[in-house]
Amino acid sequence: MLDVLETQGNAAGAGDRTISPAWTGLVRHLHITPRAFLPMRAMPEIKLIAGRGIEGDRYMIGREEGFYSHKPEEGRQVTLFEIETLVALKRDHNIELGPEEHRRNVTTVGVPLTHLVGRKFWLGETLLEATRLSIPCRHIEEITGKAIFDPLINRSGLNCRILQGGVVRIGDTMRNFQ
Amino acid sequence: MKAAPITTIKTIVEKIDDGGPDVKVFSLVDPDRWELPPFRPGAHIDLHLPGKVVRTYSLCNDPAENSRYVVAVKREPSGRGGSIRLHDDVRQGDTIGVSLPRGGLQLDNKVSRFTFVAGGIGVTPFLSAAAYLMRTGGADFRLHLMVRGEPPVAGLLAPLLQKGHVVIHNTVTAARPEVASLIGRTPSDEMVGCCGPQGMIEDFEQATRGWPDELVHIERFVPLARPLDPNEKPYTLVLSRSRLEVAVTAGQTMLAALIDAGIDIPASCCGGICGSCKVDWLQGEPVHRDRVLSPAERGKSLMVCVAGSATDRLILDL
Repeated sequence: MLDVLETQGNAAGAGDRTISPAWTGLVRHLHITPRAFLPMRAMPEIKLIAGRGIEGDRYMIGREEGFYSHKPEEGRQVTLFEIETLVALKRDHNIELGPEEHRRNVTTVGVPLTHLVGRKFWLGETLLEATRLSIPCRHIEEITGKAIFDPLINRSGLNCRILQGGVVRIGDTMRNFQ
Repeated sequence: MKAAPITTIKTIVEKIDDGGPDVKVFSLVDPDRWELPPFRPGAHIDLHLPGKVVRTYSLCNDPAENSRYVVAVKREPSGRGGSIRLHDDVRQGDTIGVSLPRGGLQLDNKVSRFTFVAGGIGVTPFLSAAAYLMRTGGADFRLHLMVRGEPPVAGLLAPLLQKGHVVIHNTVTAARPEVASLIGRTPSDEMVGCCGPQGMIEDFEQATRGWPDELVHIERFVPLARPLDPNEKPYTLVLSRSRLEVAVTAGQTMLAALIDAGIDIPASCCGGICGSCKVDWLQGEPVHRDRVLSPAERGKSLMVCVAGSATDRLILDL
């Protein structure tokens, strides 16, 4: 369960208070694919290269074989997705979507990803910085054949850059950088 | 140079087998032998050939074989040129872009018997269906193949012939059987499919008149025209700055028409939420379908990925 704590005001002024979520999550699934359109393959571990991306993945900087690679984005080195969204899709829309179908690399549990934009956090031994929320696209409906564009608005995952590389494994802990 | 978007699945021609008279069988794989997008029995893919030639072929292999697309192509000297290019120009090791698989048969419903009727190279969509049914073993099936002389893709037919699933009707040595005589009379737990020349399709349609839609599958060499939404009308985009006119056909997106015309439009979600493809409009009456622009913004801008036009001409600030 998400525990939201109010912390002391920041440097902007005494009246300015920041909501800082306290959480610890886990890595549930890991997926990569080398090229646009191809199925995501489940991996027991993935290797993150600082400043570039995931070894073997389509959006690794220098590889550029993803559907959106013609739109370069330095902050799209690794993408995350909440497993809770898959549960909600089933509960609210009766849509079965597997962790291999949302096309993000890391499926997490217990992490409020949408709160993390602009923040740094540990993913196993790697350090990431969240750059922006992912947005859904019609491309994913084309691939899955499932009407998931609308249900994924505002909960389509998180784009991140890799500050410190390393190997991420299923079961690794995800926690705030402090 | 600006990178082009990736619009097809990159495949390599792994091998080209002889499929009998004027037929070649192409095996397409990912360059790293990665899994390919899944397909249903009887599905087809588009092959994107040099010169912007796009041709559609049925997948012949078992859908369980997830790292290979197999298509059988008959060389048609009087065709539109796609089969000639494949036969004459494509070599092992060449790269071919293909579409995501589409269509196919629903074989997982409660049907105990399948009957397929095919003419010549029209056998291809039923090869993957037959491979699926052979493997799963849940239903009986028979494939009636009408040919003039030697049947195509003998190598792919061999295991089906061995198991008694195929009946070959050589119309050189015997009269062509009536399609109606090959399929059951009482549509209950039998599903039937047909692929072949137009005359055979018409006979099949006649024979299955009154059957439930879900028990009848017709695979055509030439796709039927998509039924148009009566509310969708063609219109013309007038690009004020570049002094161009772009025709948007009924049912086409404004974005697709602009891209086809060579206009460089940034786009991302293609669903009207990300705001990437915002363009200002100057005159006409846009139909806004986005979920990103405010009412005030809509007075000036539109999202070309989802917007339409209520007027015959719409002037854009492009």
